[in-house]
Amino acid sequence: MKRIRAMLLAACVLTPAWGMYSPAEAQGIPQNIPRKELVILENPEGTIKNAGWFNIWAINAGSQSNGLQQVALDTLWYIDPEKGLDGAWDNSLAADKPIYNADFTEMRVKLRRGIFWSDGVEFSSADVKATVDIMIKNPSMRFSAVLINNVASVETPDAETVVFKLKKPNSRFHANFTVRWAGIWIMPKHIFEKVEDPVKFDFNKPVSLGAYTLHSFDPDGKWYIWQRREDWQRTTLGRFGQPAPRYLAYVDPGPPDKRVIAQLNKELDVIHDIAPEGMFTLAKNKATRAWFKGFPYGHPDPTLPAVVFNTQNEHFKNRDVRWALAMVIDPKAVVMAAYRGAATISAIAVPPTGVHPDAYHFQMEGWLKDFELDTGKRKIKPYDPAVGKQIADMLRPSMGDQIPTDANEIARAFVTGWWKPDAQAATELLERAGYKKQGNQWMGPDGKPFTVRLMVEGDFRPVMTRAGSMIVQQWRQFGIDAKVDVAQGTLLTRRAAGDFDSFIGWSVETWGGHNDLSFFMDSWHSQFVSEPGKSQPLRNWQRWSHPELDKYIEQIRSISFDDPKGVEIGKEYVKLMVREMPIIPLMAYNVFTAMDTTYWTGWPTAENPYANPVTNWGNSRYMFVKIKPAN
Amino acid sequence: MRGYLAYFAKRFGQFALVVFIGVNLAYVITHATPIDPVEQSIAVVTSFGNTAPEAIEHMRRSLQELYGLKGTPWEQYVTFWSRILRGDFGPSLSAFPTPVSTLIARALPWTAGLLIISTLITWALGNWLGGLAGYYQKNRTLKAMGVIAMALHPVPYYIVALALLVAFGFLWPILPIGGGSAMNIQQGWNWTFISSVIKHSILPALSLILLGLGSWFLGMRSLVSNVVTEDYVVYAEVAGVDSGRILNSYVMRNALVPQVTGLAMSLGGIFNGAVITEKVFGYPGLGSLLVDAVYAGDYGLVLGVTTVSILGVSVCVLVIDLLYPLLDPRVQVS
Repeated sequence: MKRIRAMLLAACVLTPAWGMYSPAEAQGIPQNIPRKELVILENPEGTIKNAGWFNIWAINAGSQSNGLQQVALDTLWYIDPEKGLDGAWDNSLAADKPIYNADFTEMRVKLRRGIFWSDGVEFSSADVKATVDIMIKNPSMRFSAVLINNVASVETPDAETVVFKLKKPNSRFHANFTVRWAGIWIMPKHIFEKVEDPVKFDFNKPVSLGAYTLHSFDPDGKWYIWQRREDWQRTTLGRFGQPAPRYLAYVDPGPPDKRVIAQLNKELDVIHDIAPEGMFTLAKNKATRAWFKGFPYGHPDPTLPAVVFNTQNEHFKNRDVRWALAMVIDPKAVVMAAYRGAATISAIAVPPTGVHPDAYHFQMEGWLKDFELDTGKRKIKPYDPAVGKQIADMLRPSMGDQIPTDANEIARAFVTGWWKPDAQAATELLERAGYKKQGNQWMGPDGKPFTVRLMVEGDFRPVMTRAGSMIVQQWRQFGIDAKVDVAQGTLLTRRAAGDFDSFIGWSVETWGGHNDLSFFMDSWHSQFVSEPGKSQPLRNWQRWSHPELDKYIEQIRSISFDDPKGVEIGKEYVKLMVREMPIIPLMAYNVFTAMDTTYWTGWPTAENPYANPVTNWGNSRYMFVKIKPAN
Repeated sequence: MRGYLAYFAKRFGQFALVVFIGVNLAYVITHATPIDPVEQSIAVVTSFGNTAPEAIEHMRRSLQELYGLKGTPWEQYVTFWSRILRGDFGPSLSAFPTPVSTLIARALPWTAGLLIISTLITWALGNWLGGLAGYYQKNRTLKAMGVIAMALHPVPYYIVALALLVAFGFLWPILPIGGGSAMNIQQGWNWTFISSVIKHSILPALSLILLGLGSWFLGMRSLVSNVVTEDYVVYAEVAGVDSGRILNSYVMRNALVPQVTGLAMSLGGIFNGAVITEKVFGYPGLGSLLVDAVYAGDYGLVLGVTTVSILGVSVCVLVIDLLYPLLDPRVQVS
């Protein structure tokens, strides 16, 4: 027995000691690269199962946000959701803004010269033409459908001019070549023209047009390391100076708990997104910085989580029913459930982020206060301008000084108001729609129980799932047979097929840094609404159509991108959406990007909003010319 | 020998039937998934610009053709089996056009390496300690280990894994908390890579060993507790045979037979991967590949992984069935 005890003791001592033999080989830091020259960022795509695939023009074949679209590829224009380095609009490969002819059937682009691919070949108009031609010729590529739909031909009168001849008028055609999260990336003609089948070409090792080129990657898809090009001046990012980090590592740091550990261990400079609870933990660390210095921390993405009704469902064809369901929701409970209060709410169908609050939310405050809703028995003013302040007051006892007290700051962080919960108004609206309450159960006009399934993504998007659960609970308390419908991975298929009553998600996405609403709104035209049972093209998931909406969309189509009339038309759209309520807008999609200042400083923040910090966005490349090594 | 051949033929027939039924079930179940890989791809495609319904339909047809999803269900079924018999699972639909077999071949060594070693360590350690605890029933150290094993056994795996991560990755940060090897190391047969792989596998292996140990320990302890009361053991003790020999040759060997069956099942199960281990520790392997494939509606990849898993379990059970007569003479007699 002595032998046994001795062996057990030895095992206990040796097992942990085994890991100590090489303290220099730290956990998540690349070997042989000085830490002070390296930025480590989260790739939210996780582990890439097809790690050696860099042909982004093939669909779903490999990773996009492993650094490929952020630092290795480029396209004609970028619009930053924030202020940008030199304005939100950036002429990237294009030398200037697009020039359309009078009827928007032709788009002429002047290109920059002196931009080179990483293999030394100069970028020219031939690359742009090849990008379009190859994808039209191969209809199953990532951008083929939109190009086939729009482009009649591409002409290149010289190396710096591209003329797109369009099949039909399209004043927003340039949006396809403009990066919001991504865009149509330009292909290297000199590589792809030699490829027999571009759909089955892996593009490994990728030739880069951005300021970084591939250094190494994990065949198992856990990490990618990019190295600054020696000739970074010959890239479009070079206009803003030298990118400070010599190396960038995009990694899969694992589940949220591990992301927190990795950042506290100084092995992850930027967390893409984390649950509010994780952000609150990191906020206690002096080196961590989020978009807002204090509460609500997260960067509001220019997307608008909402309750999206399937308006082809009998119940939700009726505007009164949609409004009744909105009147039962208590926004304070929803933001507490979803974000523990760290949310930026919106009563209107425009995300409360970027330039939009100034153009829409604050401007329309007066109209919202005066807005009257006819319940059938009376007229009410449902807007409560104090909800933002109420959320701040509710949080102050537990969050203390982190909650702003200044009215302007509260408005910036939480925006302003929302609809005041009013069960009586909801009752009157449902009664006008032919619904009746029997006991504590609402019955539909057909005499059957009023049943609503609210689809959520489950573990894939816990914050939205928590919001959905809270809303269902509130509907149930009101007497509606509501249930959470967890879709998990089936959401994309079911959303497209219209296989839902309602869901938590977004059909409103904007540029954020530009007030043009066509990015999402154009696809809401009735011409794109599919019949029940057929697949719905992006983004009008609510399958809602309205003659007035079509009128606004057509008006926007007829004016240019920067025309100030766009905002005025946008306000009319907002009013229509409030009256009709085809979706119930909730809040911005707050992304809790946590940035560590131990090795690098100068990250984009609400005080210095030069770029979107969210790591998988194409615009995040602008961070690399602004951050500096910490002393 | 003739009897053994008949036994072999019978067991092999059972093996072939199990594989056939298993693969067919997997085919039916994966094709019943509500997730459509074509729709998943279309969702990606249409996220750029506004696409008219007719363009979407055109795209759908192109993708169905590209992914090889055209044809009647019967034609697809026949194509599937003709591919399987050639060892070809076709292309992955969520990593098109990379073959499923390439993805599996990349993930399998990680899963097999981690799980075979941790399963063997768990099995050997659990049975050894359980055997000792069953034989030396009054030993306080072994009694204490029994209590620890019973206490650890019901703890959810995620909790133990997380506790290890916090303990050795944060509070006393001496071990890597993610990945299969350190970043920026060339994979290959060199000591830098191998030592990094070993180091990265310590925490996942430790978590599997800690939680797996209990069941082997408790099982073996109760088996030995029964064996020690058998007449031949009592007789050997009375006859003054050395206690070490009694333990190793009389007790352990007899008690081990059912444990060997369990080991075969466990080894077969490694082809399922260890989903939670891979997710928590960010360890590469088959489990994550399978889960991702399910979410992406990539039934080619799901079928590939499940077929490998069915084959793994069935082959291990077959091998152990064939070895049984050698381990336990009573099986040979019957």
